[in-house]
Amino acid sequence: MKTDRKIIHVVISVCFLFFLLIAYLTYFELFVKDSVIENSYNQRLNGSENSVLRGSIFDRNGKLLAKSQINGNTQERIYPFGSLYSHIIGYDSRVYGKSLLEASYNSYLSNQYDIHSILDISGKIAGYKPSGANMSLTIDHQLQTRAEKLMRNIKGAAVVMDPKTGEILAMVSKPDFDPNGQELENNWTTLVESSDAPFVPRATQGLYPPGSTFKVVISAAAVEDGMSDMSFEDSGVITIDGKQFRNSGGNAYGKLNIQSAMAVSCNTFFAKLGTELGFENLKDAAASFGLEKEVPFDLPVSQSIFPYDEMSKTDMASVGIGQGKVLVTPLQMAMIASCIANDGVMMKPWLVKRVATVSGIQLHAGGPSVLYRSVSPETAASVKDMMVGVVEKGTGRNASIQGIHVAGKTGTAQNELTDRGKGKEHAWFIGFAPAEDPKVAVAVIAEYSGASGGSLCAPIAKELMSAWLGL
Amino acid sequence: MQLMRSAHKLPHPVYMLVLVDIFAFSLLFFRETPYDISPLIVGLSLIASILMVYFLIRGFKLGDEYIFLIVSMLFSIGAVMLYRLDSELGIKQAKWLGIGLVAFFAGYFIFGWFKVWDRLLFFYMAASMGLFAVTMGFGREIKGSNNWIVFQGFSIQTSEIAKILFLFFLASYYSQREKLFARFSKVRVTAAFMLVAYLLMGLLVLQKEWGTPLVLFLVYFAVIYIFEKDVRILLVNALAAVTAGTAGVLFVHHIRVRVDAWINPWADIAQKGYQIAQSLFAIGAGGFFGTGIGLGRPELIPEVRTDFIFSAICEEMGIFGGVAVILLFLLLVYRGFKIALRCGEVFEKTLALGITLMFAFQTFVIIGGVIKLLLLTGITLPFISYGGSSLVTNFAALGVLQRISAKQATAERSTAYEDR
Repeated sequence: MKTDRKIIHVVISVCFLFFLLIAYLTYFELFVKDSVIENSYNQRLNGSENSVLRGSIFDRNGKLLAKSQINGNTQERIYPFGSLYSHIIGYDSRVYGKSLLEASYNSYLSNQYDIHSILDISGKIAGYKPSGANMSLTIDHQLQTRAEKLMRNIKGAAVVMDPKTGEILAMVSKPDFDPNGQELENNWTTLVESSDAPFVPRATQGLYPPGSTFKVVISAAAVEDGMSDMSFEDSGVITIDGKQFRNSGGNAYGKLNIQSAMAVSCNTFFAKLGTELGFENLKDAAASFGLEKEVPFDLPVSQSIFPYDEMSKTDMASVGIGQGKVLVTPLQMAMIASCIANDGVMMKPWLVKRVATVSGIQLHAGGPSVLYRSVSPETAASVKDMMVGVVEKGTGRNASIQGIHVAGKTGTAQNELTDRGKGKEHAWFIGFAPAEDPKVAVAVIAEYSGASGGSLCAPIAKELMSAWLGL
Repeated sequence: MQLMRSAHKLPHPVYMLVLVDIFAFSLLFFRETPYDISPLIVGLSLIASILMVYFLIRGFKLGDEYIFLIVSMLFSIGAVMLYRLDSELGIKQAKWLGIGLVAFFAGYFIFGWFKVWDRLLFFYMAASMGLFAVTMGFGREIKGSNNWIVFQGFSIQTSEIAKILFLFFLASYYSQREKLFARFSKVRVTAAFMLVAYLLMGLLVLQKEWGTPLVLFLVYFAVIYIFEKDVRILLVNALAAVTAGTAGVLFVHHIRVRVDAWINPWADIAQKGYQIAQSLFAIGAGGFFGTGIGLGRPELIPEVRTDFIFSAICEEMGIFGGVAVILLFLLLVYRGFKIALRCGEVFEKTLALGITLMFAFQTFVIIGGVIKLLLLTGITLPFISYGGSSLVTNFAALGVLQRISAKQATAERSTAYEDR
């Protein structure tokens, strides 16, 4: 019968498929296995860490952010604030491994540091349970909580730092996730496959076009290179090599100097300024503010990029308004704001204040150090004045705080989605306060929000700065 | 009949099964001091229930003697592994076996008592859609798939029930289609059938479930290969599958993530590739002979109790253990095909084929997934993975298969009697 003959065909096919499984398993064992198992993510190579109670993590004021607890013969990592620190501390899961600080400071936390065990001999004699070192961070828990609240319904990031020391005071990336063991295990597939990419720490690894916030860098370059006295008649549109550059909202501002152009965020002015500066000056300016350079930090940071080997006039004009191929991390923009605040000196950002054994022996301490001297103090002062103008009479008015001077710059950055239609721009704000003696610098981005930086991000930045200043 | 005689000469497989269970659970007993009696209790109750069911099948001549034994062996391997991972889990799985055996007999007797199964074509369609509506209405998303109903503390994976309904739908269509051809044109009936089949598979896709529709499609394709005479129908379906697959890869973010993880898990090993990488580490750690039960670290494998249990078996029982599991499935499938081949009636033939193919493809898809031969889709390994829904429905399906084989045996016995 024809049907039965066809069933035999299917039987043969199924046998073949099963044979394929066996053949592939054998092939894997003989030829693939050796190159696969020597991987740092293979926890079988590390042996068991369970004998050591993993160290705790605290904020700058001693608030507990992560701890371990013995449950029978396994340890459980507990994050009392759930998702709040998911993009700083990361997770430590028995099944899914470690990320961010839990990964980069693992040798301290799990007491695998060679010298540690010798140093801690007094602890052993005193009868302490073997336990990993504790860490305290530069983060302020209250400010972090506030920042998370402000960013709750936004996709993006907010970074708050001390411009004079480089300490990170708060750092929020949204969306985030609950790193607690059971939650992480239950939601893993959803998290990995979500198109919102909740596992990406946007503050440190998200790369965005800076938009108009990059005008801070451009005007610093103009001042350094003696081009800050350019004056310009704005008609709302400028054509450079056949490409039109327009002001946002189609406004025309008439006669402008660099001060007033910055305050209203005039695109035509800065497009022109970009072409006047030229390739070398633009490249040098980007480099002096740390683009195309590795950022030394306690967490992995994506490198902000200025990927030009040569530039056409339209490239220069685009970069002049923070578009084109320039991409930055929110952390990088916070560092740029801090640099202007700190008289042109860019401080190295840091997150881990201290690592010490339970018995109090210090194993690692963070501290302020200079990363780059980007621009002269005079240049920084004049850019600062322009940024004060932005907040006092320009696009950044929503960031003004009563009683003090705030410096800032808004941005509304076009991206790959806005090329196809409106309503998906990134909203940016960077700034610092008080202008005379800066104590806090911020960078806020709301990705693909379609809002303007002045309306969406400036109020958030204002809240963060006044919270830190206690106003 | 010849087969039965030769089986009496050799040591019967049921003794091997009992021996394996005794060894494995004794090992679990001696693993930890102070000794805990519970692995022995679990092991003995396992052996007792398997023997009881086996002798019922033999004593009352309830059809094929081997499929239940093969499944018991698979279940035992799974139960040992689960008990070793977490004793609580092993005990729960043993309890699920009890319910699974009830489902086995329920499948056997209910399928036998009622004679209307082949005429319920529209009921199967309506029930699948009703099930979908209930799941969408009251369902919960667990581990990325929105196909669970939580009812009085139990979570039921409704796609498991949908799977069985689909097999009945296929069987009932092929037994009824001559009648339908008499009333409507052949092309229309075939087109309507295919549309409904894709709709039922599509409903599962809407619940963000990829593995089950894939298995069902493979079953569907094999069944139409067997029953449709027109090659063009096969081509149309193959084309539809290729189009749907390509569209999925291009436009569905979830699928693209899985494809990325499949092509190169090492590129994003911390997240996208983590699960499959851990599975390969485990299989690699086991080698050909395994670390031995209790001596590996299968607890490091994500989702080890369900999707990735095969990797744990490979780690502790070796590639040889894994191959043994694959061969046991092959034996099961072989017996299933044999039952289908002996069937005269189209409905039972198709149903036997459907159930057999479901076991075959589900095994192939999930084992292929965890060893990175195929794209990883989260489905259970039949009779081995932990999970009530899957165990109960698979045992019920096995009960139906058993019943179909029993009818043949009765028919053959009576013809043999007449011959004499």
